Amino acid sequence: MHQGAWLLWALSGGLVAITTTNPFYLLPLLAVAWVVHAACARPGPQARSFRIFLIFGALTICTRTALVLFLPDIQFGNVVEAALEGLRLAVLLTVFGAYNTVSDPFGVLRLSPRRWHEPALAASLALSIAPRTIEAVTTVREAQRMRGIEVRRFRSLTALAVPVLETGMEEAVVLAESMDARGHGRGRRTRYRPERWGWQATIVSVACVLAVGVAGSALFADDASLAMSAFPIVWPEVSPVMLLAIVALSAPAWLPLGSPTRKSR
Amino acid sequence: MTTIDFERVSFTYPDSSAPVLDEATLCIPEGSFVLVTGHTGAGKSTFIRAINGLVPHFTGGEYSGSVTLRDETIRNTLDSAPRDLADLVAFVPQDPSAAFVVDRVEDEIAYSLENLGVDRTVMRRRVEETLDALNIEALRDRSVRTLSGGERQRVAIAAALAPGPRVLLLDEPTSQLDPQGAEDVLAALQRLVHDLGITVVLAEHRLERVAGFVDLAVGLRSGMPVVVGDPARVLELLKSGPPVARLGRLLGWSPPPLTIRDARRVASTLNLTARPPDEGVPGASMVEATGLRAGYGRRVVLNGIDVSIAEGEIVALMGRNGAGKTTLLRCLCGLHPPESGLIEALGSAPDPGRNVALCPQRPESLLFADSVSGEVEATLSAGASRATVATSLEALGIAGWRDRHPRDLSAGQRLLVAIAATAATGAPLLLLDEPTRGLDHESKARLVAFLRSWAQGGRAVMLATHDVELAAEVATRVVMIAAGDVIAQGPPADVLGDSPVFAPQMARVFGPGWLTPEQVAVAAS
Repeated sequence: MHQGAWLLWALSGGLVAITTTNPFYLLPLLAVAWVVHAACARPGPQARSFRIFLIFGALTICTRTALVLFLPDIQFGNVVEAALEGLRLAVLLTVFGAYNTVSDPFGVLRLSPRRWHEPALAASLALSIAPRTIEAVTTVREAQRMRGIEVRRFRSLTALAVPVLETGMEEAVVLAESMDARGHGRGRRTRYRPERWGWQATIVSVACVLAVGVAGSALFADDASLAMSAFPIVWPEVSPVMLLAIVALSAPAWLPLGSPTRKSR
Repeated sequence: MTTIDFERVSFTYPDSSAPVLDEATLCIPEGSFVLVTGHTGAGKSTFIRAINGLVPHFTGGEYSGSVTLRDETIRNTLDSAPRDLADLVAFVPQDPSAAFVVDRVEDEIAYSLENLGVDRTVMRRRVEETLDALNIEALRDRSVRTLSGGERQRVAIAAALAPGPRVLLLDEPTSQLDPQGAEDVLAALQRLVHDLGITVVLAEHRLERVAGFVDLAVGLRSGMPVVVGDPARVLELLKSGPPVARLGRLLGWSPPPLTIRDARRVASTLNLTARPPDEGVPGASMVEATGLRAGYGRRVVLNGIDVSIAEGEIVALMGRNGAGKTTLLRCLCGLHPPESGLIEALGSAPDPGRNVALCPQRPESLLFADSVSGEVEATLSAGASRATVATSLEALGIAGWRDRHPRDLSAGQRLLVAIAATAATGAPLLLLDEPTRGLDHESKARLVAFLRSWAQGGRAVMLATHDVELAAEVATRVVMIAAGDVIAQGPPADVLGDSPVFAPQMARVFGPGWLTPEQVAVAAS
């Protein structure tokens, strides 16, 4: 699918997530992100990075909740409120994690206007650091295990950190050299075979616009179902339209996407 | 016409006192196929990088003299940065996977063209031509991260070639390739030289692979002037060369032959007495793997294979890129759980660091101490090994480096340190994955001596390698795998001897059964 449609999907998912703290909206959205990741993740090491985003999400919920415990005279409502805000952030992270595994980080680069090429390239390279580091950590841990060094205790942390950082540095230099030797930064640039906007991209875009539209109008209409009341704790209502809009975001998982198609030149 | 002129080029890296290049003056004419050769650390990478200006633009350091590229225009690497020379000179670094910029193969090939502002219609045609030239059309939609080593190397060369450079620089382009893959890449390079008049400059340790292709050699010797000229003469001066050259020197042939064809001509006069004797019978079994099936997800890599290793054996594991060598090693040391099958190492399950240890492909993934001896100490303090730092380093003949920082060593030297640090666990079965990257002749001799003494002490080694000459020299048994099956195993003379792809040079010249120049020299006298 066209990288622009993926970008739109991620932005829509994120926008819907931040409008609500209703767990009956957030949890389906989490499921949607998961399903899209499972159905569309590209092969390769970056598919594994989804797990990292899930872990970070869980950590966010814990820390957000734990922060409340330092408040004076807390009530159970405070804890619930904090946990829901944490959940909202976690869902946001999960949507981003799914986007990371389904999209080509350099596909976004191809979309950026020519004059934004430099910052876009920097951003794409930064995005590709996470999967590269995960790969390096695995390799180094295995190599150290082979000589009896289990990288668990704090003392043996240098055995992990030094090789990971050092290979990272060396690879960064190789990359910079290679980019320069291949003419990066000469100013004049052309673009090779832009992607074709297929019917799948249209359907996904319609679903995205729908979802954001429904969530946005609910927000402006002060729809009570968007927030969960914590004082007193009452299970929120669920609007079927909103739920439908969230489910619509799973469209990429059901469409035959195939590999992206390009214009002939 | 593009010629490359070095005029009194001297270069010293920052934080270093000795120059790597010292007043190098030479001229490389257009359309040459050039081999850059010399010891590990003699400055091969530096020399290659000086041609497109990565040295000194990226390295800093003390630089004097000039490198001039004469084309329709005259450009020199001091005034032009590497990117300004990108239309003229292309560069493929040693580890192509770190040099990929974008993700998809087709986009990676188009990357230089986009940077050079090539017109879209021309760009499309160039990409298609380049895909065909390197025979990688089938890979166009793949992510570069999912390619095998050989595929990555070919994609990297394609990406460099796409803008139609006049000079192509390659740093050890065949070090990760199986013999057939290396042959294909070199043949493709030779076609470029012959058909398009491109100048190809490559650094390479595997002289037996490249000697027949190149027509000019640049010999680098630390602290001595650069020698340039006919490959046979340069290698003679450097006292190096492929096994046929080593044989020539042992038998006093002058000049020593450089290729199989040269050697055959001289060898017909030779009267060889007896075939070399077979190796001794191995001892008790150490590792037994039966019915081993393993894979990644749905992809089956090992297809129910049986492998055993006995005391005193040095087993060379060979086969194409992607045949399953690394997976087998990972199963044997307990890193990769097999789907089915049984592995017993000395009567129990593999226990990494205790009964079996694997030295990884990249030494950088385990080196972390700030001295060579500290590296071995780290292993010793983690386990119950009775070895000492001194004995571990002496076993590989590297005791002299004990206080040096691993980062200051060359790739080949680091590998020896990584092997010392892994072997120090005292685990009786040592597994090595591709232990020949960046190893020059001298370091390889140290590795060979170490492996022999290791096996003699009632221990065993299994090494996965593409280096047929190393396997011929050191292995007591060769296990050949293809598509997840063991297709042949036995003494190297039998398995490698009559293989069109895997035969060592001596077998090609004198027939199956002959493995090393030393054997032939003994039989000839």
